[in-house]
Amino acid sequence: MTLTAPDAPALERQWVDGAREGDVAAREQLAQFCHRLAFLAALQLSGNREDAKDLAQDAMVRFFASLDRFDTGRPLRPWLFRIVRNLYRDRLRRRRIRRTSSLDDDEHPVQMQVADGAASPEDCTARHELQRILWEELQQIPTHYREVVVLRDYQDLAYSEIARILRLPRGTVMSRLHRGRQMLRSAVRRRAGSPAEEDDDA
Amino acid sequence: MPDRCPRGFDERLLSGYLDGELTQGDEQRVTVHLESCPHCKELLADLDRNREATMSTRFTPPPDLQWDELPRSGGSLLLRRLGWWLAAPWLVLVAGYGLWEAWRGVAGAFDRILTFGGITALVLLFLSVLFDRLRDARTDRYREVKR
Repeated sequence: MTLTAPDAPALERQWVDGAREGDVAAREQLAQFCHRLAFLAALQLSGNREDAKDLAQDAMVRFFASLDRFDTGRPLRPWLFRIVRNLYRDRLRRRRIRRTSSLDDDEHPVQMQVADGAASPEDCTARHELQRILWEELQQIPTHYREVVVLRDYQDLAYSEIARILRLPRGTVMSRLHRGRQMLRSAVRRRAGSPAEEDDDA
Repeated sequence: MPDRCPRGFDERLLSGYLDGELTQGDEQRVTVHLESCPHCKELLADLDRNREATMSTRFTPPPDLQWDELPRSGGSLLLRRLGWWLAAPWLVLVAGYGLWEAWRGVAGAFDRILTFGGITALVLLFLSVLFDRLRDARTDRYREVKR
């Protein structure tokens, strides 16, 4: 099952309102949806499946503990991502993050798929290889660049939403995003055999 | 190919251009610059290709992703809170009684070990929670969210 957002923010509001009023079915649906979103965000930030599971669990506890304070007039995903991101930061500070693991875990694979079904097999292979390299290199760049790249390029959030989540000026979001993307570009070119560009992360 | 735009263009705008996040004026600046700068044109093409690859990546959560703690009913939460409210004073009473007996000299060696061991364990647990709370108060940027 691939992660998808609810059809409309109205559905999120319906779940949240129902969960607040004690509707078990709404609470279950909200928990299932948010748990998957939290796991995905945690996986992209941490690069480790086990860490992502732990982070998603903790995020759910915080999410439901603060549900009464959630403003249903605002989108749900940034709220949840902010919780995941802060938990991830907490864990980094406590040095409780495991080292990055491969996505091709033998027991429970986290699959990556090429979404473009119309592409040729060669294009699909090349795209999949690029996705794999980008994923691996994403875990190598500094956290403050990685989280912006994750929120923009994996989670498809607008700059203004990212700025709110990270409590950064919008211009800083754009700077960090560009710097992170350039690091990834340099890494891709290096691995492809092209002359690597100078990494000026000063 | 040089590392940076030879004409000193602000390359950060290229990311904003890709994402459609620039003002109309900045977007126009980028468009004009790209017409005459092969360096930025190549950079933009690479960023676009990587961005598309990233955005088209689909993740599938593992099948064992379960969260059994929810939904908690209001009744179970109420019972849990009530249990903690009763357990806390009970612990204090037992510890206090043990200390009183030890002070009076009535308690035997085994009772004293139990009393002081239990109290020491409680104090250590309390201190560990206190230290965590103090650290969170300084560093947690999401203080408004209750644990």
